[in-house]
Amino acid sequence: METISYLLDGFAVAFQFHNIMFALVGVIIGTAVGVLPGIGPMSGVALLIPVTATLTSGMPTEAAAASSIILLAGVYYGAMYGGSTTSILINTPGESSSVVTALDGYQMAQQGRAGAALSIAAIGSFAAGIISLIGLILLAKPLSDLALQFGPAEYFSLMLLGLCAVSGLAGKSMTKALIMTVVGLMLGTVGIDIVSGIARFTYDQPVLYGGFEFLTIAVGLFALGEVFKTILEEDGSAQSVTKIKRILPTKQDLKDSAMPITRGSLLGFFIGVLPGAGASIASFFSYITEKKLSKNPDSFGKGNIAGVAGPESANNAASGGAMIPLLTLGIPGSGTTAILMGAFIMYNVQPGPLLFDDHPEVAWGLIASMFIGNLILLLLNMPLVKVFAKIIQTPQKYLLPIIIAISFFGVYAVQYTTFDLYLLITCGFLGYILTKHDYPVAPLVLALVLGPMLENNMRRALTISNGDWSIFITQPLSLLFILIAVAWIIVPIILKLIGRKVIVTDEG
Amino acid sequence: MKKKILTLCMMLILAIVLAACGSNSTTSSTSGNGSSSYPERNITIVAPSGAGGGWDLTARSIAKIMSETKLVEKSITVENRAGGGGAVFMAEYATKEAANDYMLMTKSPPIIINNLKAEGNSPYGYKDTTPLAQLTKDYGAIVVKADSPFNSLTELLDAIKADPTSITLAGGSAPGSMDHLVGVLPAYAYGIDPKQVKYVSYDGGGEAIAALLGSNADVIATDASSIGEYVKSGDVKVLAVSSTERLTGDLKDVPTFKELGLDAEFTIWRGLFGPKEMSEEAFNYWTSKLNELVETDEWKSELERSGWQYEYRNAEEFTAFLQEQEAVIGDLLKALDMHK
Repeated sequence: METISYLLDGFAVAFQFHNIMFALVGVIIGTAVGVLPGIGPMSGVALLIPVTATLTSGMPTEAAAASSIILLAGVYYGAMYGGSTTSILINTPGESSSVVTALDGYQMAQQGRAGAALSIAAIGSFAAGIISLIGLILLAKPLSDLALQFGPAEYFSLMLLGLCAVSGLAGKSMTKALIMTVVGLMLGTVGIDIVSGIARFTYDQPVLYGGFEFLTIAVGLFALGEVFKTILEEDGSAQSVTKIKRILPTKQDLKDSAMPITRGSLLGFFIGVLPGAGASIASFFSYITEKKLSKNPDSFGKGNIAGVAGPESANNAASGGAMIPLLTLGIPGSGTTAILMGAFIMYNVQPGPLLFDDHPEVAWGLIASMFIGNLILLLLNMPLVKVFAKIIQTPQKYLLPIIIAISFFGVYAVQYTTFDLYLLITCGFLGYILTKHDYPVAPLVLALVLGPMLENNMRRALTISNGDWSIFITQPLSLLFILIAVAWIIVPIILKLIGRKVIVTDEG
Repeated sequence: MKKKILTLCMMLILAIVLAACGSNSTTSSTSGNGSSSYPERNITIVAPSGAGGGWDLTARSIAKIMSETKLVEKSITVENRAGGGGAVFMAEYATKEAANDYMLMTKSPPIIINNLKAEGNSPYGYKDTTPLAQLTKDYGAIVVKADSPFNSLTELLDAIKADPTSITLAGGSAPGSMDHLVGVLPAYAYGIDPKQVKYVSYDGGGEAIAALLGSNADVIATDASSIGEYVKSGDVKVLAVSSTERLTGDLKDVPTFKELGLDAEFTIWRGLFGPKEMSEEAFNYWTSKLNELVETDEWKSELERSGWQYEYRNAEEFTAFLQEQEAVIGDLLKALDMHK
């Protein structure tokens, strides 16, 4: 089969020594990012883009792109492994996707079964990683072929769907999320218009001709914003970390978690494919499913291992599933994948239907490396879980200056302008103030990335239809996307009206 | 709380000092390269379009052959800066990078077209650069999908004449720019009002081809050289080319506009440009290196591989040629009623 030979070529790329090293470094940093409560996968990936750009600068473009994407994706899924550690040991989730893990994980730790909880989380994550990769391989080619048939109208509606999905679920208030989306779209119009070449909102400032660099905005809002938040709000008291005794799970533990892991993986994968619904929602749904299916639902929240295995598998599978719309359609469904997409574009690799044809080395190399990365993570996490637990105790006084330094050097290394450094500081402050007042920043970044694409496809669609707006609803696929987009906004509102609790995602 | 504010202040100071460091290094790097031997560091060639288009391939060929033949020891990287049919980067190149000896640019007729056209006019033209050399020439091509009902350019033009709204022409450059010109030229010669032709612009030739293959455009105007591989794979049909004589290779069976009785031709020349305030040292370095480059066998076989024709003009000839071209393209745009 054609796919298998492509995959083997991908392994040939991924097994190159430097690429194994890139995957290794990526997943280790990812795990650390997942463990550290201060930085999430989004700021982790954003911070590392310039670093990898520098590391790979001497290599041919295609190989450089493959290597750095391998590293950055490693950070992304590595963070999903690491997030469980803090949930289980100190009841403080490192990532929002590990919030539900804390419910049973911390209880297990209190009962002296911390090691079992951690290793089941790692095993579940591994199984989920592999399952979602198989799904990715099976779906990548058919979806790409389908996407090639997408016209501007379909792309427009699909991007609209992505934006609505993220806005509908992000943060506590949908109004605030929508405000942030619109701000992102507005920021995206600054610069010289790609279609007509007319300068918009540049006020004749040459620095604005290229528009706002999304990397600067992302690093500022996420990484610096977190730093400012930590400085102003952390109370500085050291948390006590539960001791880990026995690492390996018992046979009974494995038996109890086999089904939750399988269910969580499948559920997580399909939720991950949907734009906007990220790892947090996947883990939450998995937890609810396990509780419903369990013979004794009362044991949940009191240290049931299924409550760790299911959600941890689900959040990892979701991160694999989220790669699908990014790679095949060129449309990121979340904040982190939007940042990954920025990295692709930096290397002139355009994710989308032609990615698998034009850059097989990058696309299949990445997929193959995710197998290797997941294996490394399993091997690392089992014996080294005690070492990773130590990262939790990294003093802020060392961590924060490092983040600041990487932010500044990183942005400057990519942009070479001081304007971007001042923009970075501004975004850092905005990031802090916005997050403090529950304005989610992920929709802003996503809108900034999608905005220009959205606009151009809208204009192309309207040119094709001779200015007739009905093209967006007469094309069946486009109509379908628009209907789903509207549902993402309406359904949560209705649920709130009838008094149901709505799950929100903070991770974007 | 006091301590927190203090920490925050410290962080801010650190941040601003870092920002200031940046500005110092920019000034020192631009002022410092006058005395010592050029080039001291790696060189960037910018292709102001997405990957895969004519500028991009030209830039990559130059970079590749320059390092293969060891003519340039420093490594050359190719950067893609898409947008506005080259106008986005042009603005930056003429302002921010005007004295950056380490950034060169590949460009073709749009450097003049963008500066002259009415819609989406770019205030910067070739006079805001230092032309280094013309390296290749290429032609425009009118391309439809293999299963398209149109088998000749005349059939297509008749269909446009009958109902201009029924046919979507796509191209990899902005309205009024090169692909658009190549597309509407035969239509104009056939007696169709160029403004009636529906044109959709994409970011670079690669995206335009994807739109054609996905049946989201009926016809595209693109470079003759970049369409060869799709002709070979049987995905597309080329209806006509804009050269004066028949091309060789994959497109040898394709008629020219002239053969079809249309009085139109268009040559796509491609060249390398330096920044406006390029130092004399850098200018001399590149003109002599390019002179050597075009003589190498590696360059000639690279041209053949890419389907480009050899045409070399050195800096002086190129500048004179650009002046001439400005008048020619200006007349063309006036005839099409697209001049500013």
